[in-house]
Amino acid sequence: MEIFAQTVVSGLLIGFLYALIAVGLTMIFGVMDIVNFAHGDYLMLAMYFAYWSYALLGIDPLYSLPAVTLALFVLGTATYYLLIKRIINAPMLSQIFVTFGLLIFLRGLAQFLWKADYRAVPHCLLSGSLHVSGVYIGLPQLVAAAGAVVCNGLIFLFLKKTRAGTALEAVAEDKEAARLMGINSDRMFALAWGIGIASVGVAGALLASFYYVFPEVGGNFGLIAFVVVALGGFGSVVGAFIAGIVVGLVEVMSGYLLAPSIKFIVVLGLYLAIVVARPQGLLGKA
Amino acid sequence: MKKGLCLFFIFVALLIVFPFFFRNPFPRHLLIMIMMYAVMSIGWNIIGGYGGQVTFGNAAFFGVGAYTSSVLLTKAGLSPWTGMAAGCVSSLVLAFIVGYPCFRLKGHYFAIATIAIGQIMMGLFMVWDFVGAAVGIYLPILPQSFRNFEFHATKLPYYYIMLAMFLFAIGVAFLVERSRLGYYLRAIKDDPDGARSVGVNIRRCKLYAFCLSAVLTSICGTFYAQYVLYIDPPSTFGLMISIDLCIISLIGGLGKLFGPVIGSFVFIPLVELTRVYLGSEGQGIDLMLYSLLMIAVAILRPQGLSSLFARGGR
Amino acid sequence: MRKAIACFCFLSLVLCLGAFHAHGAGKEIKIGVIYPLTGPAASTGHVLLEGVKLAADIINNRYNLNMPLAKTEGLPNLGGAKIVIVSGDHQAKPDVGMAEAERLITQEKVVALIGAYHSAVTATASQSAERYGIPFVNGDSTSPTLTERGFQWFFRTTPSDQLFAENFFQFLNDVKKKKRVETAPVVIFNENTLFGADTTKFMEKFAKQYGYKVAGLISYPAQGTQFTSEVQRLKGFNAHVLLQTSYVADAILSVKTFKELNFAPDAVLGNDAGHVDPEFVKSLGSEANYILSREVWALDLGAKKPMLKTVAEMFEKRTGKPMDGSSARAFTAMIVLADAINRAGSTEPAKIRKALLETNLKADQLIMPWDGVRFDPKTHQNTLGRGIIVQVQGERYYTVWPFDLATKDVVWPFPKWDKR
Repeated sequence: MEIFAQTVVSGLLIGFLYALIAVGLTMIFGVMDIVNFAHGDYLMLAMYFAYWSYALLGIDPLYSLPAVTLALFVLGTATYYLLIKRIINAPMLSQIFVTFGLLIFLRGLAQFLWKADYRAVPHCLLSGSLHVSGVYIGLPQLVAAAGAVVCNGLIFLFLKKTRAGTALEAVAEDKEAARLMGINSDRMFALAWGIGIASVGVAGALLASFYYVFPEVGGNFGLIAFVVVALGGFGSVVGAFIAGIVVGLVEVMSGYLLAPSIKFIVVLGLYLAIVVARPQGLLGKA
Repeated sequence: MKKGLCLFFIFVALLIVFPFFFRNPFPRHLLIMIMMYAVMSIGWNIIGGYGGQVTFGNAAFFGVGAYTSSVLLTKAGLSPWTGMAAGCVSSLVLAFIVGYPCFRLKGHYFAIATIAIGQIMMGLFMVWDFVGAAVGIYLPILPQSFRNFEFHATKLPYYYIMLAMFLFAIGVAFLVERSRLGYYLRAIKDDPDGARSVGVNIRRCKLYAFCLSAVLTSICGTFYAQYVLYIDPPSTFGLMISIDLCIISLIGGLGKLFGPVIGSFVFIPLVELTRVYLGSEGQGIDLMLYSLLMIAVAILRPQGLSSLFARGGR
Repeated sequence: MRKAIACFCFLSLVLCLGAFHAHGAGKEIKIGVIYPLTGPAASTGHVLLEGVKLAADIINNRYNLNMPLAKTEGLPNLGGAKIVIVSGDHQAKPDVGMAEAERLITQEKVVALIGAYHSAVTATASQSAERYGIPFVNGDSTSPTLTERGFQWFFRTTPSDQLFAENFFQFLNDVKKKKRVETAPVVIFNENTLFGADTTKFMEKFAKQYGYKVAGLISYPAQGTQFTSEVQRLKGFNAHVLLQTSYVADAILSVKTFKELNFAPDAVLGNDAGHVDPEFVKSLGSEANYILSREVWALDLGAKKPMLKTVAEMFEKRTGKPMDGSSARAFTAMIVLADAINRAGSTEPAKIRKALLETNLKADQLIMPWDGVRFDPKTHQNTLGRGIIVQVQGERYYTVWPFDLATKDVVWPFPKWDKR
């Protein structure tokens, strides 16, 4: 029973993080119908920023989090203005190729700048674990999960309660109507990219306290993010949150109950089953 | 039209005499790889370029083709040519199983689904002991002969076999383009609802295209296995292979007959060049180069480089 | 615009084809060296290449070391001809390895090849060599299948994973006797790519042979995002000893997970790779202490073998990095090959091959912890190699087995996490 509880806890912890990574992806899609294939690689960049802040300046990832988030916000808006803006109205094929090209570019850049070695932040502020009735909860993971929940909540509130947020949702609903209402869709898109990538920045800084960085780290997390978004429904922030938890639980449980070697197969299989049976996912727009 | 045909014949003639001017194995190897990727990209182009369904999982067919013929060879002693046919059958089955439910999915969902399937296949083959799991399969070094599909003293037979496959693929693409299937595919790509309203069975068309794509990729898998004589899951199911096929078709021209051919003749030498010259310092420069090329073409010239050679153009 | 593109394509094709030109002959002996110089294992590839280059330097110049060809300049039996290294990058891809081998043989006209670290690439590269009848000396690929192919031109100096797996149980038996502790049952936790898969097979085989019960076996997909479920299962097996095979990322993550879930068997025994990667101790700091690992070589062996210390210092001076098992083995492969070429007195492949078969180097002529170099006449595997066991103490690696080469006593059992 203890082991079951441990598995559930671990699944939840990683699930919250998955949710955070996916939220940005789903937001970008929701607002402008573009799937950012390079999403996982922005996570990779955020992790590197956090790592180098530690390695060169001695700043713990927890403290460099605000800076990393800001840096990625800037990166997101820059990506929009430099690249994405040109393909807003291009055929889907072109959009797919551009963001995919971005994925490859970022990985090549990381490899060029920082080599392919694995790096990890050696001594973090957060380390060790809590022992609660037989269940071990890693401190970094707990903080990461908490941070993810907070961040998700903030984004949700932003979208529902602020003017800018409602404007974003309006643009997502109907770009033309929003324009007629005086909303500058161009700025909204940039904002969506900024927030979307910034949320990945938060996730990256949190991950850096217990996970290792290398140029291809975005691969696995990126793929999982797609599964989460598809499961939750493209465009739905709440959906992404719920789906993130589900995927985290499924991964850890199938690893424990079945076999670790096929846990990814189960997660990917889950994706396939969901999109075939219910293409719009749990809460997505059809 | 006449001029195009003339150019084509000159091109083929050049390919035929190429090995006589370049007797070293390395240039021959280069051209074999160029043609192999061209065949696979032509396959990709049928579903991705003509059909508009971007797939990042075609490596699955490459792997299935390679493994089917290799397993049949090592376990049952079957000739690789029989194996190649069997590989096609397995790939067709896979195409059907995957395509039937998945073609309902819209663009992005489908693309991600194909990545998922490719990764699942890789994961499965890594743990499946019957096919060697992570160790892979060492193909036995048999006396060289056409029947054994192995040649040791020279690459020449490999070269001409690949050339034949290359011409075959072009023929298939040509037929598709001129046929009803090609017509329907273009209609589906440009205006799916319109196509449906005039009675085109979208799912079936896409399925046919996907099956053709699977076969063309699968035969290359068998060829590769017989050429390198060692296969393992990463070298045959790798995601990068699938991505390379997309890049090649995109660069050369989606939905154009010679798009993948031009793309392959540009892309593969580029890959080799960067490795040879930037080899020890490379570290990602090659990746950055192709991705920039990919992005540039997608934004600036979505019709691909082949549009530079076209007259009028579509 | 159209013309520009066409020109560019044509140019790149031509450059490619014309890029490879053979150098003039002369008093040089060209050796092809194929390693992963770009891609994920690039840093190891460069280190391996440096090992080979250092060996070439020692061969080509005069050094006072008790090593073949060190005290002379060049190869004396070939009129002092010098070794020239021609490198090739295989990017961890088997087909590229094959192409590079061919390029080096046919365009650069090398007389022999060394390489390639990744067993899958060594498989195809050596296949090219076999097809062309060129000797291929492998110093660092451990997949046992490589010497089971019946090849005539392939020689391997490093022990294979089979021998290394046996080393584990020899070590456990020795510890059992010396420390009077129970070392069984064991639990196996290996990654599932080629390296882990091969090792799993042999661990099971030798466990049976040496009478050790395997309480559990987990084969996991490499580079996972977390190991909670795996470690929980490991805890449930209640074994004394954990045998693990992982690359560095997983090795680091798993130790962190061990600490978090309070998993502390009597011994955590890694299998080279990740557990001895420099990043391992750097990232884990004191959490890495008392971890054991099989290794191929260690710096502190220099205490019992002074020549090793000298060569390691030369390496560090040249490259700014400490020597390690990879560079040491690559170095040794070059020495063995050059020694054979010298004894052959010729650059003819068949004569080099014959000389390789007659190789008989003694332990004190090597910087490896081996008993010597002698190739089995059928499989061409060096039968005198062996591995060592190291332990992290005070965040540094010390040799703890074989006991006659050890510089520190092994700390057993692995102290509990809260007792440190």
